[in-house]
Amino acid sequence: MTTTVPDSARATSRPDYAALIEPSRVHGSLYTDPRVFADELERIWYRSWVFVGHESEVPESGDYVRKSIGPQDIIMTRGRDGDVHLVFNRCAHRGNLVCEDARGNANAFRCPYHGWTYRNTGELLGYPYNKGYGGKGNLDLSLGRVPRVDSYRGFVFASLAEDGPTLAEHLGAAAGEIDRLARLSPEGRIDLGAGWLQHRTRANWKLLAENETDGYHPQFVHSSIFSVTGSPIGPLYSDNSTAVTRDLGNGHSENDLRPEFRRQGEPMRWFGTSESRVPNYVARMREVYGDAADDILTEGAPHVMIFPNLFIAEIQVFVIQPLSVDECVQHSTAVQLGGAEELNSRMVSQSIGSVGPAGMLLADDTEMYERNQRGLEMRQPEWLDVRRGMHREALDEDGYRTGAATDETGIRGFWSHYRRLMEVDT
Amino acid sequence: MSERDSNTGDAHDVTPDAPCAGTVRVDDSGGGIVGNEFAEVGVAVDHSGNGPRLRLEDYRTGRVRNLDALELETIIWLPEERLTQLLDPSTTRWREEPDR
Repeated sequence: MTTTVPDSARATSRPDYAALIEPSRVHGSLYTDPRVFADELERIWYRSWVFVGHESEVPESGDYVRKSIGPQDIIMTRGRDGDVHLVFNRCAHRGNLVCEDARGNANAFRCPYHGWTYRNTGELLGYPYNKGYGGKGNLDLSLGRVPRVDSYRGFVFASLAEDGPTLAEHLGAAAGEIDRLARLSPEGRIDLGAGWLQHRTRANWKLLAENETDGYHPQFVHSSIFSVTGSPIGPLYSDNSTAVTRDLGNGHSENDLRPEFRRQGEPMRWFGTSESRVPNYVARMREVYGDAADDILTEGAPHVMIFPNLFIAEIQVFVIQPLSVDECVQHSTAVQLGGAEELNSRMVSQSIGSVGPAGMLLADDTEMYERNQRGLEMRQPEWLDVRRGMHREALDEDGYRTGAATDETGIRGFWSHYRRLMEVDT
Repeated sequence: MSERDSNTGDAHDVTPDAPCAGTVRVDDSGGGIVGNEFAEVGVAVDHSGNGPRLRLEDYRTGRVRNLDALELETIIWLPEERLTQLLDPSTTRWREEPDR
């Protein structure tokens, strides 16, 4: 007897995202249901633009680094042509991983299983004992290539879909936040080659993405690091703060702290220091930017979550890599700015202090993520509330929805974009 | 200068100042090792003859080849496609016919 699954049954086997995502609440199963995660891979991670790495990580011809798109192992290479290439880390023969090291320099790769060799752009160069294939050059095979690769100010993004919005369309207003970061370099250049820390986190990736611009938690979760370091960051996220949370569209959001820093009017305060501590940097910035330098040095770096996985947190960059419905890896590195040596060593030490193995900031957050994941496994109540600040949101002069510093405006922006992507049929 | 770093993706792997993975050691005579995860080759300028030559040693097999200045110059001028052909394993080591 032959049985076929009727179309209607197949349709209902997918979660009904419209029913699970409401304007002021989202359903807990979105964080715990493996079917949702499988859908996310197909509709978000393997289709939308995803941040992969930075061009500065492969400065020389032949350089390569192992990167990821969700659970996919990707090799980012610098070819002899000078371009950055993304290939899947999978031999075309039997599917073995071709690269093992996290980074290195190689114009050609050799699979350790049967010795097949590839150009670092993916082209198959050859295989041992070619008579078994009727001679050389007889196989129309290569490493898998990522269909679309594009970059913005050195930030390399990939889309595994052949068609779709361009990177510029995807980034939209978030591109301006990357510009803000680059502007803090006297050379307009960002370098992410300081090395990456990796923290395995037993939580759904969306808890991280939502948290990155949640201005409601810092006063609670990070109170110990704020008190130990005497950091001025805490009050930026309070009811008295003039900072705002902004939905930048396409799932991107930011905590815009500029209103607070402008009010304080002190260059370098965003970095927790003063001009006199970094005199060479400040002098160089004034030389390059002239009258605009004061504003740039006062307003500081962006705090922006670029959907779905790139978080620029002023002086460091985080990349969220989902592995399964309840596990992900947080990759983090210190931002390094071209021509800003005085600042760069401080950014490395500050990053180690906040996200290093003994750092406090990321450990605080990760504790919350993992507790959150456990809590979400409880049966009641079924929903998570995301309504904070809905009543006091407004559109800013550029038309972006903006809430108070501690409002969940960014989280709602995330879900609205997420729902759009998840409802699309493949 | 530095051993290969073992940044293989373990959690809490700290590499703030790590150089590129791979092996580059330079000894007193100016020799060293050029290595990555695919191959490891010892490099030294050998002065035992009447003139200098480059001594290359494949550390995984012990096989050695000496190259004189003209041979090195030839390699520098080798067209890209010729070098690519040499990277086909069937061209050199792993082939059915014995070396002629």
